[in-house]
Amino acid sequence: MSDPLDALRAPVAPEDPDAAFAAALRTRLERAVLDPGGAALTSTPTDTARLAWPPSVTPYIGVPDALRAIDWYVDVFDAERRGEPYVMPDGSVGHAEVGIGDAVLMLAGGAPGTPGDVPPPDIPRFSLHVQVPDVDATVARAVAAGADLERPPGDQPYGRTGVIRDPFGHRWMVQTPPARASRVRHGDIGYVSIGVPDAQRAKNFYGAVLGWRFSPGSVEDGWQVEGPTPPVGMWGGATAPEVQLCYRVADLAAAVGRVRAQGGEAAEPERKPYGRLADCTDDQGIRFQLWEPADG
Amino acid sequence: MDEPARLQPEPALALLKLYDDALPHVYGYLRARCGSHPLAEDLAAETFLAAVAALRRTPPPELSTGWLVGTARHKLVDHWRRVAREEHGLHLVHEPAEDHDDPWDAELDLLRAHEVLRRLGTHHRAALTLRYLDDLPVPEVAALLGRSLHATEALLVRARAAFRRTYEGAEDPR
Repeated sequence: MSDPLDALRAPVAPEDPDAAFAAALRTRLERAVLDPGGAALTSTPTDTARLAWPPSVTPYIGVPDALRAIDWYVDVFDAERRGEPYVMPDGSVGHAEVGIGDAVLMLAGGAPGTPGDVPPPDIPRFSLHVQVPDVDATVARAVAAGADLERPPGDQPYGRTGVIRDPFGHRWMVQTPPARASRVRHGDIGYVSIGVPDAQRAKNFYGAVLGWRFSPGSVEDGWQVEGPTPPVGMWGGATAPEVQLCYRVADLAAAVGRVRAQGGEAAEPERKPYGRLADCTDDQGIRFQLWEPADG
Repeated sequence: MDEPARLQPEPALALLKLYDDALPHVYGYLRARCGSHPLAEDLAAETFLAAVAALRRTPPPELSTGWLVGTARHKLVDHWRRVAREEHGLHLVHEPAEDHDDPWDAELDLLRAHEVLRRLGTHHRAALTLRYLDDLPVPEVAALLGRSLHATEALLVRARAAFRRTYEGAEDPR
């Protein structure tokens, strides 16, 4: 059936706004973008949709020409660009990351055409980046055990960070990631729920087979399995045994819309301490969840 | 030079680079849908400032002009929601009871159709704009409006009826 209202379809037609408005908004925007970082920067768009937090220990290298080095690692090691290089006003790179396999390499370095084979003097040639639960405690322990304190812990948008040089000459950037940081990426499995009629029986079974240990969960007859990745929860009282997977998504509202558009069902997202969660069923009846982590 | 310790490169910087190209698209999208020039400017500003915050999330969204237009759409929906709250009482009075979705065979005069759209109640205007001007599938309209699929389908039926009533009234002014 034809719908006369279809004629209203209006693809986006660009229209220049008032020039004074455009300039004023640019100024506001620059202030908003540059405020927290402070540095004036340029960058090139790259695929940033699949970024996840780096592993617990990551090598950090200084190189003479960082942008060229990134290209080199991409060509030679088939590295994947992670986000955009953090380019300083003088063209040097304050921070960049590439992914190689399941690891991450961090680098900083000089501007394009930097002469010589060593990084600029203010960029250390080699450091290690380590994530810890409590950066202040770790740094204090390190200093008490003979490390030199290069930079005391301070809050940064990317997490609280301090820098030490250990007694063996190695430089460590010690960091506590913000609460929102997760190794789990869009589309990855963030959590596994096992529903069983008899939780005690399942605990005995998996305890014997896999050595799993259980701590009480947040719901009645719910149990958190200690240790596995991704995390596993178990609950008793299910009418039939089933395993449900919970997938991380970047935009829960949009993902819920896609579930419905594809013929699945999705409940309205619910707010949880760890983010927002929507119970879904696919178009063949498999139950699963979508999860968007809490915003830091 | 700053300590090179950034785990997360500043993703909002790309927004400044894209700004000149993207602004006419964002503004054009809003201007065609909200009619008012100052309102389109306000919502365009809201869109770009919200984009800065969104780009700092982990993981950040993929920045593009299309994504910014999508953000503008959310801002427009938020605006309509505010207006609709103020109009609420009014619409309870004016909401006709007998709504139906009869087949309607007509060729719209687009100028008049847009004028009719502007005269509709905000929730009708919002639903029709998203469904027809933006050509979004009903589930996406539902997600944007924060309504269930069924409620959105019912809203669209009522909105089409209201549109037709006003349009045909406008065609034949008595």
